[in-house]
Amino acid sequence: MGWTWLQSNSLEGELNRVLIIGWHEYKVNVRRLDFIIFTSLVPLLGLIGLLVTLFFGRQAGGALVRMFDSGPEVTAVVDQSGRVTPVLSQFAEAYAAYDDEAAARAALEAEEAQRVVVVPAGYPQAGDVKVITADSRFSGAATAGLRTFFITHLVQEIEDGALRARLIDPFDAQIEYIGERGRASGGVAGEVLSFLVPFVFSILLAVTVFVSSGYLVRSVAEEKSSRVIEIVLSSVTPQQLLAGKVLGLGALGLTQIAVWIASATGFGGGLAVLAGVILPFFTRMEVFGLALVYYILGFGVYAVLIGAIGAMGSNYQESQQITGIVIFIAAIPMMLTGVIMTNPDAMLVRAMSWFPLTAPTTMMLRLPLAEPPLLDIVISIAGLLAAIPLVVWFGAKMFRLGMLMYGKRPGVLEIVRLLRHA
Amino acid sequence: MKEPVLTSRRLCKRYGSFTAVDVLSFDVYPGEIFGLLGPNGAGKTSTIRILMDIFKADSGEVEIFGSPPGEGRERVGYLPEERGLYRDQRLLEVLVYLGRLKGAAKETAEKRALAWLERVGLEEWTGKRIRELSRGMQQKAQLAACLIHDPELLILDEPFQSLDPVNVEQIKELMRSLVADGKTIVLSAHQMNLVEELCDRILLINEGRSVLYGPLKQIKRDYAPNSVRVRAAGLPQDLPGVVRCERNGEAALLTLEGVDAQEVLAALVERGVQVESFERATVPLNDIFVALVQGDGTERN
Repeated sequence: MGWTWLQSNSLEGELNRVLIIGWHEYKVNVRRLDFIIFTSLVPLLGLIGLLVTLFFGRQAGGALVRMFDSGPEVTAVVDQSGRVTPVLSQFAEAYAAYDDEAAARAALEAEEAQRVVVVPAGYPQAGDVKVITADSRFSGAATAGLRTFFITHLVQEIEDGALRARLIDPFDAQIEYIGERGRASGGVAGEVLSFLVPFVFSILLAVTVFVSSGYLVRSVAEEKSSRVIEIVLSSVTPQQLLAGKVLGLGALGLTQIAVWIASATGFGGGLAVLAGVILPFFTRMEVFGLALVYYILGFGVYAVLIGAIGAMGSNYQESQQITGIVIFIAAIPMMLTGVIMTNPDAMLVRAMSWFPLTAPTTMMLRLPLAEPPLLDIVISIAGLLAAIPLVVWFGAKMFRLGMLMYGKRPGVLEIVRLLRHA
Repeated sequence: MKEPVLTSRRLCKRYGSFTAVDVLSFDVYPGEIFGLLGPNGAGKTSTIRILMDIFKADSGEVEIFGSPPGEGRERVGYLPEERGLYRDQRLLEVLVYLGRLKGAAKETAEKRALAWLERVGLEEWTGKRIRELSRGMQQKAQLAACLIHDPELLILDEPFQSLDPVNVEQIKELMRSLVADGKTIVLSAHQMNLVEELCDRILLINEGRSVLYGPLKQIKRDYAPNSVRVRAAGLPQDLPGVVRCERNGEAALLTLEGVDAQEVLAALVERGVQVESFERATVPLNDIFVALVQGDGTERN
């Protein structure tokens, strides 16, 4: 079986060889130019952002604002009720009073205003107002703005300043969750970050699984094409070689993530770090911990399968092609991110969480969105733990066969036949 | 006789309907150079891969140092026919890594790697990347890699492949010195002249089966034509049992029938012929190899 090396008399020596291979793989790949470039990409983008903020500050911000905002919108107000004019000074930029509707319409046509609001004489009783707009920009922020405009003018007659203020802005919710230990606090920003950061982290983990598996395919293909593999296999078993590679390249993936997190922390600075990066991790430790568990188990399954199937190719390109099927299956949850985000507990999503080949990515995406049922966590982890020995057994057999197979790529039937003799 | 270091009994390996190794039995004794010979596709590499526990045999038994293959990896050094090294890594780094995989501690592996590189003349290339080395240099580096853990048994598959005559001599000398140090070598090679020079015993296989097995001298004697080479002045024409005489100056090749070499020598001495040299004529191993591989491969011990 695939774990016979674990049953060897000299367990220490056998494990030592796995560690030597793991360290060798790590050391060789961590120095590769493409790894350095890919790993540096996130810190580099952070650095660029930091430099832009430091040196261009307002100019850059202003440029962005101008890019997305063509200027303040003006509402022409025709007040036949006399309740919202004269326009208060704080609204002077966004609201202009007109004597009649015709003049306001002319301003609209001349693009001096973006909409016209006619307040009829019977407004205090009926509450109806007429809005004439040039385009569809009368929703969301515009509606909220107009509401504030009306309330502010209507409450001017109330003498109590505090009451006036409360009528304009009735409450500022300070949320405290009871019974949900570790939930983020700190208003809307904290809530968003507490979801966003673990979610992005989960996606990064999932991406790293594929990237590290790619390194594994390349490592196997290179050992095959350089013909060093037979020398190596005279010293260690295929299982040890595969285990060492999985270990070394899994650690390589974790290094990549560590660099990304460290750089995000470094560039974030001060309060932003606490609020944006560190806080969500500490406030939702269970997400962080479980994501890491799924990363390790998922990498174990994917990397062994990808390494073993990749060994069948006669060169790197061919190995990449034939491992595509495993990567495709594992990436299905990422393609269904929309479904998972909309309904993290949908039956389809739960089923994907139970299937070992889709469980790691599905669960990594589900965890930050909601608290998945304990049953799903147990089934997915148990399934992965049960699948790993099977995958290692099958993978090692395939790896042993594939590593010494040169020349033309065998067909599926031939592989099945050869596996019986491996 | 000493206990064999390697024993193969009725070894079989099949790939589907193709039989690569067919009931192969042989022993390798300590301190000898054992030739494993055969034409391309004869089953040599499959046999070697079974010995190295890279392939599993379908049936039969193999013991190396009294244990199944794979249990004493650190006592065996292997130079495969399909070989190479990590092209982008530095020579010393690669050798140390391969030495550590064989169980050597890092410091020991580094010390031995440097010593072997010096011995094969690559001491100035330790910091170079493998891709910068010539093919011959890479070959010598690979040999150093399989010696770095000081193995007792060496399995060398085509070690002379693509080496120039100078390097061939160097490797031959190295092999002789290793045997003098008590190592055992299983040598698979196509250069029959080198096999003749180096090997004590051989196993010739064809289509997975043993067709010739035993001490090389004995085999050459068995396959030798019944003839002698004599260098002597005034060689008589009428020696009994001599059916043919091919002269070349004072030397002659005498083909015998019904008598053996001893009787011919006795007759020459009796007649007072001044014999300068007298030797049994042998046939090159290459001719035996070709004859057996082209003919029906029936085992002769």
